[in-house]
Amino acid sequence: MQWTKTDINQYKEVTEYVDTLLVPLLPISFQMDSKIEKIVFQGELVKIFANELEKRFKGRILLTPVFTYLSDEEISQEAKRLNKWVDYAKENPFTHIFFLTFDSKWKKCEQELNGNLLWFPSIQSGDLQSDQIRALIKDQVNEVMDLIRSYW
Amino acid sequence: MSEKRNQVSRRQFLNYTLTGVGGFMAAGMLAPMVRFAIDPVLQPQGKGEFTAVAQVDEITSEPQRVDWTIDQVDAWYESEVTKSAWVYKQEDGSIVALSPVCKHLGCVVAWAGNDDYPDQFFCPCHDGRYYKDGENVPGTPPNAALDRFQQRIEDGTLYLGKAIPREEA
Repeated sequence: MQWTKTDINQYKEVTEYVDTLLVPLLPISFQMDSKIEKIVFQGELVKIFANELEKRFKGRILLTPVFTYLSDEEISQEAKRLNKWVDYAKENPFTHIFFLTFDSKWKKCEQELNGNLLWFPSIQSGDLQSDQIRALIKDQVNEVMDLIRSYW
Repeated sequence: MSEKRNQVSRRQFLNYTLTGVGGFMAAGMLAPMVRFAIDPVLQPQGKGEFTAVAQVDEITSEPQRVDWTIDQVDAWYESEVTKSAWVYKQEDGSIVALSPVCKHLGCVVAWAGNDDYPDQFFCPCHDGRYYKDGENVPGTPPNAALDRFQQRIEDGTLYLGKAIPREEA
């Protein structure tokens, strides 16, 4: 389910079937240095990824809006803020929480998170519309789908 | 001169002019009304478009997944949307094209998606299952059969249109 009016209305009716929360984690920065391109590209990719996963597992996954944070911020602070999201979300019957990110910083504080971190090394740049990259992303999405299913 | 004056008298001339001008004004008012009235007929039928998805002789009796993209325009975005279908040939040679969207909560189903049911469509979310013809297996979450795509075959190419829900039998 997407974070849209129609989907949320449907979600309200069937909360017992939707037991998985998917939170994309997305760093932002406003320093126009060499890193910015990478950060923005990661953002595009994580949204595509999350949407693709949601499309396949629409009936069991609730996709939240992206969790945005400043890439220079202390990551453990952000982990606390993220856990707070999860605490609120757990008022609904979610049994699986997944965080989707391409930012390796989260890997270091994985233990502190109240959920499963799905971190992947990503392609760093490229044309997201090209057939090659699309096929690559599709393959990777299929892998992630298998991973999520193994948790269910 | 006098002959001409007799042919068109002042009264007649005024009559003609007034009728003419009045006619134009009436037409000017009526034309938009008529245009409104028959507007639905003039709407382009873009939504019912068919897209070529596969060659008929490549389709087997085993359901295969075909993907294609369409331009989807809503109020805010124009985007390319990927659509998929499961297509297979029946024994009599006719083609069945099923929508992969589960009728339970909208996940994407896969043919033989579960090793325990190699000849059924399987939904990974809540273990919904469908027979090969798209009918839902009783006792699993879905309560309707998979949608079928409108189809058309031209010159050995399969064209698919919109997915049409089936009447629940």
